[in-house]
Amino acid sequence: MKKLLENRNVTGWLMVSPLAAVLLLFLVMPIVLIVIVSFWRATEFSIIPAFEWDNYAFLFGSPVTYTVFLNTFKYAFITWAFTLVIGFTVAYYLAFHIRSLTWQIALFLLCTIPFWTSNIIRMISWIPFLGRNGIANTTLMSWGVIDEPVEWLLFSDFAVILAFVHLYTLFMVVPIFNTMMRIDKSLIEAARDAGASGAQILWNVIIPLTKPGIMIGTIFVVTLVMGDFITVRFMSGSQSANVGRLISNDIALLQYPSASATAIVLLATVLITIGILLRFVDIRKEL
Amino acid sequence: MTKFTSRTGLSRRALLKGAASTAIAAGSTTLGAPMLWAQNIKDVTIRQFGTGVSNLNDVANKVKEDLGFTLEMTALDTDSVTQRAATQPNSFDIADIEYFICKKVWAAGNMQAMDTSKIANYDKIAGTFRSGLLTPTSTIAQGTAPHTVGFTSGPNGTDFVQEESGWMTLIPTIYNADTLGIRPDLIGRPINNWSELLNPEFKGKASILDISSIGIMDMAMVVESMGEYTYPDKGNMTKEEIDLTLGIFTEAKKNGQFRAFWKSFDESVNLMASGEVVIQSMWSPAITAVKSQGVPCVYQPLEEGYRSWGGGLGISAALSGLELDAAYEYINWYLSGWVGGYLMRQGYYSAVPETSKEFMTADEWGFWYEGKAAEGDILSPTGDTLAGAGEVRDGGAFLDRMGSVVCWNSVMDENQYMVRKWNEFIAA
Amino acid sequence: MEPRPRSFYVLSAFFALFVLFLYGPTLTIGVLSFQGEGGGLTFPMRGVSMYWFYDLFEQQAVGDIWGSFRRSIVLGLMVMVTTVVVSVMGGLAFRKKFAGSGILFYLIITALVIPSILVSLGVGLLFSQSGLNVHWSTSGFGAQLTWTLPFGLLIMFAVFNRFDKSFEEAARDLGASPWQTIRHVVLPIIAPSLIGVALFGFTLSYDEFARTLLTAGSYNTLPLEIYGMTTNVTSPVLYALGTLTTLFSLLIIGVFLALALVSKRRKARAGNDAGKAV
Repeated sequence: MKKLLENRNVTGWLMVSPLAAVLLLFLVMPIVLIVIVSFWRATEFSIIPAFEWDNYAFLFGSPVTYTVFLNTFKYAFITWAFTLVIGFTVAYYLAFHIRSLTWQIALFLLCTIPFWTSNIIRMISWIPFLGRNGIANTTLMSWGVIDEPVEWLLFSDFAVILAFVHLYTLFMVVPIFNTMMRIDKSLIEAARDAGASGAQILWNVIIPLTKPGIMIGTIFVVTLVMGDFITVRFMSGSQSANVGRLISNDIALLQYPSASATAIVLLATVLITIGILLRFVDIRKEL
Repeated sequence: MTKFTSRTGLSRRALLKGAASTAIAAGSTTLGAPMLWAQNIKDVTIRQFGTGVSNLNDVANKVKEDLGFTLEMTALDTDSVTQRAATQPNSFDIADIEYFICKKVWAAGNMQAMDTSKIANYDKIAGTFRSGLLTPTSTIAQGTAPHTVGFTSGPNGTDFVQEESGWMTLIPTIYNADTLGIRPDLIGRPINNWSELLNPEFKGKASILDISSIGIMDMAMVVESMGEYTYPDKGNMTKEEIDLTLGIFTEAKKNGQFRAFWKSFDESVNLMASGEVVIQSMWSPAITAVKSQGVPCVYQPLEEGYRSWGGGLGISAALSGLELDAAYEYINWYLSGWVGGYLMRQGYYSAVPETSKEFMTADEWGFWYEGKAAEGDILSPTGDTLAGAGEVRDGGAFLDRMGSVVCWNSVMDENQYMVRKWNEFIAA
Repeated sequence: MEPRPRSFYVLSAFFALFVLFLYGPTLTIGVLSFQGEGGGLTFPMRGVSMYWFYDLFEQQAVGDIWGSFRRSIVLGLMVMVTTVVVSVMGGLAFRKKFAGSGILFYLIITALVIPSILVSLGVGLLFSQSGLNVHWSTSGFGAQLTWTLPFGLLIMFAVFNRFDKSFEEAARDLGASPWQTIRHVVLPIIAPSLIGVALFGFTLSYDEFARTLLTAGSYNTLPLEIYGMTTNVTSPVLYALGTLTTLFSLLIIGVFLALALVSKRRKARAGNDAGKAV
């Protein structure tokens, strides 16, 4: 018995058993079930076990699918670009310009407080902020920058991207900050001694070393944007769609099989994207 | 600040079997039945879910006061309500749903038929829900009219029958006639037709609701009003008609006609109150909510008529015994007037207007039902001023409004096709 | 202290703008929660009052804020405790590279990247097809764990990657059993990160919406309840709730920082305690 417990495989599995159980029950089995259901048929209110390719056929045959997937990628890409630039700058500031750990933590916490207010309430508040009579427009008008309220601040792609950047920049900041903290400061000193300017240090030393952090942040941001449906619906005034919306619309109308089919295609897309990104970073080592 | 002051100071309850619904001013919370029954009923909890329209905490409080048992309410949006009725039969006892949702989910068998002989006020229920005729000379509107999905063949029936069979799917409680809501101050001219929704004058300032079963009907009204097409039955379109309707709206959407679409009551109020939108599909209480913020808003009667909807209470198939009796008790109480009066003072119509009348002042009855000018201020049940003296309800009397209903919220035969096309419209 | 380079001020300004951006909605909510009695969820303001704060504690026309708030807190705490325990155990286990750990690792990554609505749909289907009832403390709990556990584990992996094994070796040399090593050496050292994991776990659960949408059962958590309320209620009481939550979290963090400062000072005063145990 003691020998058994000393075997690192056995102890290893014993310790991860709750984790494995949760993942098995709440991740693996649901996915398997979704795959199965995607082949079923649906009526108004119930689903019937069957095996037919109808749902997938419809999905791939409809031009809407392609438009919507393209839209999803578009949002993901633009959000990624913005969060990268903003996130990198903020992380750089926190890692290299803030001296004490206490202040770093304090500033971090300052950034996370807005997220303690319910997401839903925050989304409702964008309307008074960005709307025709909202704070943004009235401020701009009182400064004389514009004469009429700007319409595209709200219920547009701009609003969607703005909300995404607002929500997910921190997910980019944290991994990049993490990697930056591990950079050996003596490397930077050496570069400076060798005569490099600030910009050169940034480009040749810091950025290459933070690549893993950037990769991880990218994975977070891209997957979160691709899986979102509420933000898109709300900020575009239900006028824009992404894949998550298709799925949630189907679910709302009890069309579980077609929702499942769309969900599987989305999952496959996300996993492929992540797989590609993971080629560039060995995540286990770089944590 | 009290939210609601009791109208008559008396508590009311209805007797269960046989007797006419007499109002006995007892002020007690027992049922006048054997003490054992009265003792048990206090421990009963009934779980109700529905849209926020009638899932009001005030009702739960009054139930506790008048009937003794606990009513737990959960409010959800329309789509979630449909989902729960269809897939989670053990999660509720009473379903407060619309008739078109009933059409979708009745065949799932999660609800049980109700014996109309146990309903004391059955004869006083408005004709619309029983024979389909509001008055003997009414025409039946297009779409899923409540009486077509209101009756089933027997206690375990999963079908619909077209006569008053004695077994109802839902007991009707509430209905109204819907139209477009407008901001008269921002529009500045009379609006008389549904087609104005797509008028380029309101480009970027229009909205429509993103609930397919209801939105498609509004769209059909607009299309017919524009003279583009006349539908044999708006409530049951063919694939070509669906394509036509959504095609017209998709083009308008691409031209930037719509500012946003709304999915929840709250969003519609915000859009109107903030001035983002000046003309949109709206629900009656949203109009009163906007008005109570001091923003002018009118529920505009239109030439072509109204779209109507009706809702009622259904019982879960899993209910039996003491809880089932309590459920019938609750439904009879619901129809006995207090709730009806409360709902009517928000602008809805109670399915049993006679009993509701006794819970409203003469002025309120005159304003809300008869379409007369108000003599004093008209207050909502929560105390907000909805109209001043001399004002007339938008659209006028009950018979004018409900009499001009031309279609009901519907579930079509081609529903799944319609939903897919609706999704395409949203994604366009 | 060496003087700050000019870039410090530029970047500070940028950071300040960023924080302002993050707080935009929160500030809007703050302003609007003082909305006058007759006002709605948008501008213009109709007077200024504390009315909605009082209203928050009354019964609402529709919805049950405090009941769902209680449920959210309980669920959040459940998730928090479970996440911390399972993450630590998982972190310790993964140091060993046991057979099959690679597959498990990729499952964790999958749990992290899977779109939330899939989890909701899948777990909901699982429960309904097997005839079980969905309930926030079972299906909702499990669905949220698939989101918080990966985060907790990734943090733990990062911590253990940096962990200096020599402390454990020293303890072993002194004759400590594995359990004693964990209890007296490892846990105290990783304690700060555990607090981070706990905080993360609670926050992620408290504000979780998509995964709980189909898995909560008859009784809603707070985000779901708020969502349900927006289908009928349209009053600034939601904003009052939002402002109070923000103030509450500011308070908690303030207390936290004060405690950290006090304990730091106390430790500095007490001096080094090396060698005292002998």
